[in-house]
Amino acid sequence: MNKELEHQFVTNLEKHQNIAHKICRIYTNDQASHNDLFQEITIQLWKAYPKFRGEAKFSTWMYRVALNTAITLYRKKKRGIQTQDYESVHFKIKAEEYDDEEEQQIKLMYDAIKELNDIEKALVFLYLEDKNYKEISETLGISEVNARVKMNRVKTKLRTILNP
Amino acid sequence: MDGLDLLKKDWKSREASLPHLSYDEIYKMIWKKSSSIVKWIFIISVLEFLFWAVLDIAIIDKNYWKEIEEFDLTEFTIISNVVGYLITLFFIFKFYRNYKRINATDSAAGLMKNILKTRKTVKYYIAFVLIGSAFTGLVSLYFIIEHHSLTAEATTAANYDFNTLAWIKLSLIVLIGLAVLMGLIWLFYRLIYGILLKRLNRNYQELKKLDV
Repeated sequence: MNKELEHQFVTNLEKHQNIAHKICRIYTNDQASHNDLFQEITIQLWKAYPKFRGEAKFSTWMYRVALNTAITLYRKKKRGIQTQDYESVHFKIKAEEYDDEEEQQIKLMYDAIKELNDIEKALVFLYLEDKNYKEISETLGISEVNARVKMNRVKTKLRTILNP
Repeated sequence: MDGLDLLKKDWKSREASLPHLSYDEIYKMIWKKSSSIVKWIFIISVLEFLFWAVLDIAIIDKNYWKEIEEFDLTEFTIISNVVGYLITLFFIFKFYRNYKRINATDSAAGLMKNILKTRKTVKYYIAFVLIGSAFTGLVSLYFIIEHHSLTAEATTAANYDFNTLAWIKLSLIVLIGLAVLMGLIWLFYRLIYGILLKRLNRNYQELKKLDV
């Protein structure tokens, strides 16, 4: 019984692991933290799995649990000293890849996102994942109106960061 | 917001460069939590060992040996120290083995068994520390009292009227003192290992629930 549950869970997670990796990419700055967050997400998902009865899609459920894990973890860390090494932000995106203006802009966008807070990062992430406001509101447990308002604020904030 | 939309395009194109973990790698990950607790038990045991070793080295000087010699405790001190360190090293080795074993486990049943084993090792270790300190304390005390009564008799035997009642009183005071000391040591260990054992127990309960 337990073996079966394990197998089911790991198979599902293996299939949908990109979701967790992408969350790690938004929330962490280096490979070690990426791996740590991924592991923490895996553990939290596994702990919550017995309650997942398949009324939602695995991926939908995973978005919710994984994002919550990242938000909670990030919030705890923020209490410490928060210094970000902006050089290391792009450990996966090497500088030479940005050779024209458009790519330069993308690099600046990634920089700007790193300056957002935990919830704002979650909103941007879901936006990048092409989620509509209904899905965003369900994933984050807020109302649709609230999601819209928050998203607009994030966009303004990003604009301010990019054009101070 | 054209910037974000630009980013969205880029975001999708980067999907291919995401890391990919195998089934086995993920499978192992879901058991990692207990392993990190057991790792801490191992690390703390090593730190504790180093702490006592450093303290021993700091205390031991010429005077210390002279005093010990005076009380005829030299042999006992050497033997008890050697035996004590050997047993402690054995426990550190056991903790390390537990950590390695839990790291390699990949089934719930195996993990549960290893968690129980680790808890048992920790309990034995604490029992060893308590019994060991009580034993060395009592033996040292016996030698000191014996030494004292010998020298006392030789010098001022007349002033010293240590009757049976006085001995019983002294022994009682010493035993109570020893018991309080043991209680403190026990409390100290409950604190450092207790927290970790509690967490391990929680993991165990979770696993048990899954196993039903």
